[in-house]
Amino acid sequence: MAKGTCICFISLFLLVGSRVMSQDTVTVPLHVRGGFDLSGPVMHLINNNLASYGVMASVDLNQSISVNAGARYTSFSAIEYNYSFQSKGPSFVIGPDYNFIKPKVGEGRYYAGIGFRYGLSFYSQEASGITYLNYWGEGESSIPLSHHTGHFLEFTPGVRTELFKGVTIGWNLYLRVLISSGAGPDMKPVWMPGYGDATSGITTGAEYYISFSIPYKKIRVIIKPKPVSTDEDNVEVVGTPTTTPASIPGGRL
Amino acid sequence: MKTLWSISLIGAVLMLILELASCSKQACYDNTDPVMNASLLASGTGHDTSAVSLIVRGMTATDTIDFVDAKSVSNFSVPLDPGNDVTIFYIILDGVTDTAVITYDRTPHLVSAECGYTFVSELTGLSTTHNIIDTILIENNSVNLNGKRNLHLFY
Repeated sequence: MAKGTCICFISLFLLVGSRVMSQDTVTVPLHVRGGFDLSGPVMHLINNNLASYGVMASVDLNQSISVNAGARYTSFSAIEYNYSFQSKGPSFVIGPDYNFIKPKVGEGRYYAGIGFRYGLSFYSQEASGITYLNYWGEGESSIPLSHHTGHFLEFTPGVRTELFKGVTIGWNLYLRVLISSGAGPDMKPVWMPGYGDATSGITTGAEYYISFSIPYKKIRVIIKPKPVSTDEDNVEVVGTPTTTPASIPGGRL
Repeated sequence: MKTLWSISLIGAVLMLILELASCSKQACYDNTDPVMNASLLASGTGHDTSAVSLIVRGMTATDTIDFVDAKSVSNFSVPLDPGNDVTIFYIILDGVTDTAVITYDRTPHLVSAECGYTFVSELTGLSTTHNIIDTILIENNSVNLNGKRNLHLFY
């Protein structure tokens, strides 16, 4: 009998405890994500000179921060009036994402935040035909195939939302800052894979990703209770005397 | 979260528009012709001076090209031959002719995606006759698009 009473009390205690806990915490699933970029293939249909295929993977470290890594293969060719140029190669980015959406609202399914990446580009370039016309007349030249490693930084604000369970879509704007093209000041590539026009110190654009996510862990995040506003305090203070015993006799009168 | 949905879809459309806009070709507005800049100095004092007349001609295998033909000049600019590692100039100062032979290494230089390539040079050697020219000194080896002075011509 005593044992049963004890179990009953413990169960009640746990129930009360969990109820108190659920008011202050929320369970957020952490995901492992893998996806691919849709914008590259779509742009290739419009712009034949640029073929760019990207994949990404990310792991949520907590309810706000995830680590994101991406790989991309780019092939670019251009034939302009006085030169023809080709570059191609893989590029890689890695860095953190910060989700501004509160865990209670996002529930691990939504993202609106900003990412910061470090990027590396391993590329080859050549200009197979350069023609020039100046005071000395016309001439032709070429730049042979050469291999380089470029570095850049990337800032990517973006949004992501769950299309249906396990599948998310989202886009990122990106602002890339060139650290080095690796080819020297004279031989900067017209297009550095993973970065863009390397004659410019900053490039901008956007990417559109479809990704598949798998929850790998659930964490309990403490939700801070909303601070009680002073207006509510006033209401309570004003209302309280009406229920005090002192006011009851007055009411009766 | 419906807002986020809308943002995602609108963003995709905007992104496509932006990407398409970035595909449009731009015109070339940059300077694409590097020139070698020289200033005239008085031999002995080293002060800036002006020539009454100055003619500078570049020599090709078959012809000459007039680059400068001016009165009362204190400096001049001439392009190096991007097709060769040596350029010969006839410099006619106040009616007296000297010949300057300039050697250099050429490097292709990408001006921009719109303008394409030009050739910048590093001066490696210079010799001249001394009919009126005392000496020519190289101040800055790099003949590129930055407009800096490359030579001091003393006469």
